[in-house]
Amino acid sequence: MSDDRKISERYRELGTEAPPRHIDEAILAASRRAADVHPAPLVAPTGRRRWYFPLAAAAVIVLAVAVTVHVERDRPDPESAVLAQAPQVAAEARKEEKAAQDAAVAQRRAKPFSAPPLESQNQAMRESAPVAGVRAPEAARSDRALGKISEPAEPPEKWLERIAALRKEGKHEEADKALEEFRKRYPDHKIPESARKK
Amino acid sequence: MLAYRDGDAGAFETLYERHRARLFRFVLRSVKERGMAEELFQDVWMRVIEARSRYAPKARFTTWLYSIAHNRLIDHWRRKGLSLVDLENVEIEGNSPNPERQAEARQSLQRFARALEALPPAQREAFLLHEEAGMSVAEIAQATGAGEEAAKSRLRYALAKLKAAVDE
Repeated sequence: MSDDRKISERYRELGTEAPPRHIDEAILAASRRAADVHPAPLVAPTGRRRWYFPLAAAAVIVLAVAVTVHVERDRPDPESAVLAQAPQVAAEARKEEKAAQDAAVAQRRAKPFSAPPLESQNQAMRESAPVAGVRAPEAARSDRALGKISEPAEPPEKWLERIAALRKEGKHEEADKALEEFRKRYPDHKIPESARKK
Repeated sequence: MLAYRDGDAGAFETLYERHRARLFRFVLRSVKERGMAEELFQDVWMRVIEARSRYAPKARFTTWLYSIAHNRLIDHWRRKGLSLVDLENVEIEGNSPNPERQAEARQSLQRFARALEALPPAQREAFLLHEEAGMSVAEIAQATGAGEEAAKSRLRYALAKLKAAVDE
């Protein structure tokens, strides 16, 4: 008998102890509890099939994200609907302003030496002349929709040039009236010598 | 173990039945008190249950199981030192009804037990893994985290000392 076998046999003689039954039961109960927390799948994945489940889960997630992004992109933006309409509205407003400007010019040419009453003149100016800071309602609304700053129809410099032209032509009464209107609207604006009262 | 990892409780019962006695003796021969051996034994299996989700078949289940036991014993040895179960009162089953023969057998066995107890812990562990778990030198090295040469020499020295006790 080899030495190793003798040693093994002598070792076996020390006893064949086993764990007590209550320890066996405690361990087996713990193993069953742990298995209940994570029950076995209906079909235990083995070999290559083990990779199908995480791959399928990843594919579902990617597909869900892609569909969500696509739907979000295609959804019509409420703001873009307003913006789409704004250029059209603004174009119509500009047409109205131009028409008012042309009417004002035509009126001045038609009656060069008349001095219409102040009230009617003011009314005519308000109705015809594009006044800085006052715009057609539709244009103003479109500008507000677009978030733009409103621009004056006739810049103050142009207005002063017109007053100076009236003085040059000797139409001092008209020039005085226009100057008075100008000062009401632009009280702090500097008046050049050429436009001042004579 | 893979089946248990995937939720089959019955698979664990089969594993447990296969390894329970040998692992118990391995732990018992490594510590002094039976109560402590039972506690450590139960603790090892609880760790097996807790680690089931991380189990990967890189080695035999036996190697993995005894590496857990080894680590647990290392912790225990560090705290409490090491000695074997007292065999003074162990009943020795013998074929001879002769009391003298029985006494001789008991003494011979006690010599062997003392020789086993006297082994350095690493050599004793190598021997017990070889005997109880049926491990090869390579598996002993893997379970204990030692190199193969170290495992081989530990087992060889252990066997040499125990042989001397047997031959006495």
